[in-house]
Amino acid sequence: MRAEFSQISALTAAAAHVLCFAGLAAAHALAGRGALVSDPALALRLVVVCEAPIVIAVFSYLRRDTQSCSFFKAVARGLIGLPVGAFLNAFGAIVLGAPVGIKYWIATIYWSLAMSLLTFVPAACVFGTSKIDWQNVLSHSIYFTPIDVENYMISAPCHGAVLGAWLGAWPMPLDWERPWQEWPICVTYGAVAGYLVGMSVSLVLIAVHKRRVRAKTD
Amino acid sequence: MSPPASHRRRSRLLSWPLLFVAILAVHSLAVYLFTRGFLLTRTELDLHSSRDDLSPQADVSPGRASWPPASVDRLVIIVLDALRFDFVAPSTFFSEKQPWMDKLQVLQKLAADEKTSARIFKALADPPTTSLQRLKALTTGGLPTFIDVGNSFGAPAIVEDNIMHQLAKNGKRVVMMGDDTWIQLYPEHFNKSFPYPSFNVKDLDTVDNGVIEHLLPSLHKNDWDVLIAHFLGVDHAGHIFGVDSTPMIQKLEQYNQILEGVINTLRSLSKPGGTHENTLLLVMGDHGQTLNGDHGGGTAEEVETSLFAWSPRTPPDAVLSVLDDSSCNVDLHGEEICVSTMQQLDFAVTISALLGIPFPFGSIGRVNPELYALSTGTWVNQRMGTNACSQDDLEAWMGRYAEVLCVNCWQVKRYIDQYSATSVIGFPLEDLQHITDLYSRAQENWSASLITTCSSETGSQEKVEGKGSVLLQQIDAYNDFLQSFAKLARSAWTEFDLWSMGVGLLLMILSVIIQAFMLVNMNTISKSSDQKSSGSSIIPRFALAFAIVVIRAASFLSNSYILAEGRVANFLLATSCITSVWHSVLKGNISIENLVFLLLNIFTRFGIEVGMSKQLPAPTITKDHPVSAICKILGVNSCNILLELFPIISLAFVAYIMLKCLYRAICQRFLKYFLLCGTMVSYLSIAFHWASETTLFSHAGTVQEFGRSLAPRIVYAIGGLSLATSAFSRIFGPTVHLKMNKRIIILLALMLCSWSPTILILLGRQGPFVALICMAGAWCIVKLQQKHQRESELSVADPVSVIQWSLLAVCLFYLTGHWCTFDGLRYGAAFIGFDHFHIIRQGLLLSIDTFGVSHILPILSLPFIAIVWYSTTSKDNGLKDIILNNINKVLLMYGLITAITATLTIICVAIQRRHLMVWGLFAPKYVFDAIGLLLTDLLICLASIYYS
Repeated sequence: MRAEFSQISALTAAAAHVLCFAGLAAAHALAGRGALVSDPALALRLVVVCEAPIVIAVFSYLRRDTQSCSFFKAVARGLIGLPVGAFLNAFGAIVLGAPVGIKYWIATIYWSLAMSLLTFVPAACVFGTSKIDWQNVLSHSIYFTPIDVENYMISAPCHGAVLGAWLGAWPMPLDWERPWQEWPICVTYGAVAGYLVGMSVSLVLIAVHKRRVRAKTD
Repeated sequence: MSPPASHRRRSRLLSWPLLFVAILAVHSLAVYLFTRGFLLTRTELDLHSSRDDLSPQADVSPGRASWPPASVDRLVIIVLDALRFDFVAPSTFFSEKQPWMDKLQVLQKLAADEKTSARIFKALADPPTTSLQRLKALTTGGLPTFIDVGNSFGAPAIVEDNIMHQLAKNGKRVVMMGDDTWIQLYPEHFNKSFPYPSFNVKDLDTVDNGVIEHLLPSLHKNDWDVLIAHFLGVDHAGHIFGVDSTPMIQKLEQYNQILEGVINTLRSLSKPGGTHENTLLLVMGDHGQTLNGDHGGGTAEEVETSLFAWSPRTPPDAVLSVLDDSSCNVDLHGEEICVSTMQQLDFAVTISALLGIPFPFGSIGRVNPELYALSTGTWVNQRMGTNACSQDDLEAWMGRYAEVLCVNCWQVKRYIDQYSATSVIGFPLEDLQHITDLYSRAQENWSASLITTCSSETGSQEKVEGKGSVLLQQIDAYNDFLQSFAKLARSAWTEFDLWSMGVGLLLMILSVIIQAFMLVNMNTISKSSDQKSSGSSIIPRFALAFAIVVIRAASFLSNSYILAEGRVANFLLATSCITSVWHSVLKGNISIENLVFLLLNIFTRFGIEVGMSKQLPAPTITKDHPVSAICKILGVNSCNILLELFPIISLAFVAYIMLKCLYRAICQRFLKYFLLCGTMVSYLSIAFHWASETTLFSHAGTVQEFGRSLAPRIVYAIGGLSLATSAFSRIFGPTVHLKMNKRIIILLALMLCSWSPTILILLGRQGPFVALICMAGAWCIVKLQQKHQRESELSVADPVSVIQWSLLAVCLFYLTGHWCTFDGLRYGAAFIGFDHFHIIRQGLLLSIDTFGVSHILPILSLPFIAIVWYSTTSKDNGLKDIILNNINKVLLMYGLITAITATLTIICVAIQRRHLMVWGLFAPKYVFDAIGLLLTDLLICLASIYYS
């Protein structure tokens, strides 16, 4: 049953990752150097604007049940998933101590939308409301037991982004008085770095997985 | 089979409290050793010298029977904060010329041109080199330590005898301008003052410009005797930009101009008959700074500061033979320039001798001969003196100096005797004996030399020579005494005892390792006995708990994380909550407790932010916190009513929950009704107390009086009574027939009932809110623990619950508006119900307030997370064993967590002992953690006895 679904080749996965990365790079190029530090809201808005169409399109194309679910339905799932994921991310951030002053809330909204694009939306597009798949995405066991390519593709960057954001909050209380210690700048840096690490990890895992599958079929 | 088993059980039951007592003992020893090495303590004596101390019958000295007369009429002290030695001394004294050197050219030129009347000194300060401690040292002539026992908390005003006090008492008029620290230290000693705020480090100019504005005009006036001008620019420039920076050089160049103006003015007014005929100018630093602009520690850069002295009137050339010419060098313009070295400790007594005021009582310095000789007055007076013998200048001066030293020694000896008699920790006996010997030898010598003084006719050259050498001998003897004592005092008051600190730390680390080993060992035992246990599910939870403890402990290595400790704890607590949510989602059974716990985190988080905002001095920060935002919407009036009503409403809610729990938990009839009544009366009293304090409605006087003082006392009394009852029912209560769970819960309920109303009333209005958070948090943790037990079917203690419990306790400490410094203590709480200060009573209340919600309640209620709710063994006997084992294991874990964090604090303090913030931040944190650790150990002992 599973084997039927895992038709995504390593190349497709790599291409999807490259596209997502290109979205981030484009946002960075548009915003210019240091824009995240000088005007985090603007830079994060650019990230959301550039990344949202790419992520939703790519992962809707890679949707799990191609027969029963049309491309546009997957896009709609992604569009609904965007604010839901943003809410969850913002809630988590506030629980962990993100500031909530009037000064910050616009940046917080854009940050949580961007985080949602990195973590929540891909899974929403691909899996829809399948509970078991969601649990698989969240689970850490994918790293130990081989599942399928989409799982690697979605989980590893998602976990990377969350862990990166968590680690990115660490420098915030330090007294270095650098502008990038403000919320949400260093958290964003951490999240993006974690996301990129997650992408490369997922590519490695996919390559290993493919080789193993090929060895088995041989 | 059964008797040995029960016997073993009993022996194990006995051994648990013994183990905890052993841990307590080891920790106490470690903390004692470390504290003895680290926290140098000195007792402040509030005795003062006075004019007529030296009455003839006081057995002072055979020589002079009064304090030395004034030799300087007016004194100008210009303090340049954080003045490094190389700012003043010519660059030729150093191996390399740096950009910040040679900027104070005017001082160097004066020192080179007028060798007899101007001099650059290298002044050696003693650590801690922080401004407040240095100012205190400069004026008292002592060695202030971190904890000067007797220091009144909060108000920094100096109670010890000091120059300012003596000046004021002896009718000298003092003008002060600049750093407002002086005003805090000496609130009533200045005739006129122009203070400027010093706390804004980024502001380089406000203080300096203020001083400049007043300095030159004041020099022309005649309404003062001592003028103090304290510039802060160099200190602030160092803190912000470092020493090698343009702002620093600009500052120094600016000072050069100012000093030139001051010197020219003084010179122009120093003609005979001028207002500054007999004035001494001192330009000095209070401490040095490192190249980064830090100070506080004891490195050479920090303790080496400079002092420049100049008197407009030139003393006779004989002064050159007094001045040290060992370190001379050629300056930039090819002229010879000499530099002397002095101890900052000697400053206070030298100034007192020059101005002719009694030496400060606690001064342990020696009158510095070079600085003393630079003042012309010490030469002139002698020449016109009544002394019949005609001597040359130098000898007369030496005679005079010897007399001053004699008084100086007498005063230091008097201080030593007083200090040894009254202080908490005195000096070692053999050292004292040595010092006393030196003193008596010097005094005998003096009597001998007096015989030769002047009694014989002056005639032969030889005799005069002989007298000179006798005087020299005498001065040496006095110097010997004074220097040995200064050395002894330094070792007692400024040097860390590294050996003692090291042993303490080692002991602490060892105890932590043993504790951890024991815990691991116990787990393996219980695992092997419990065959069904799935080891896989416990390992990740141990890893998570361990990771959180390590992160939290490691965060103490940075001062920023110590400042943000509350937020760090909350971050980690939230992290553990999120992991448990994640875990539940994976299992597919997310429950309401998870969500409640997350929401609770948001509440604690805002509470901590509000609590910590009190810590910061700037009022702007409090402006946009949530409460005031809500107030803005509702309007001030209704907001006030809400703020008054909210505590009482939530108090009613808390009381309702407490009563309901009590009603359900306890089944013995007498106990139940006693506790219900007691709790009800307590809560009513608290409500009455708060109601009597509100301004919403007016009350009759007696009612108010009752509410203000009687109601809290009722609460305390009921607390004490029910504590006694719980101990009584623990010992004599018929609990054998009860099931173990039931019994533990009854004991718990008793404990909580006796403590909570007292803690609640001490916390004040925030109390009920905090209590609700406490209860909700405890409920969540217990429920999650139950869920975990049910899932894993393991009946062992869950480390994650314990760490959450301890993190919640830390959060509550900060939430209730405490923080780890002495001004973070809520002194107001100590006076709830009492108007007068009594050290034991108020101390007890203050410690209950400080540690109640973060140590007492959490530890005493720890058995909540040790109770086994879903048992696989139906036999009560086996269950009892498991529960008792669990309780002790949980207590051990909690103790281990506290011990690990305390150990890291100790390591951090030991590493940072020369850090800028050591006395402001690390040392108070250490004190709080050490007390917290010992209290935790003690409570664990009691809990282990009480619940077993």
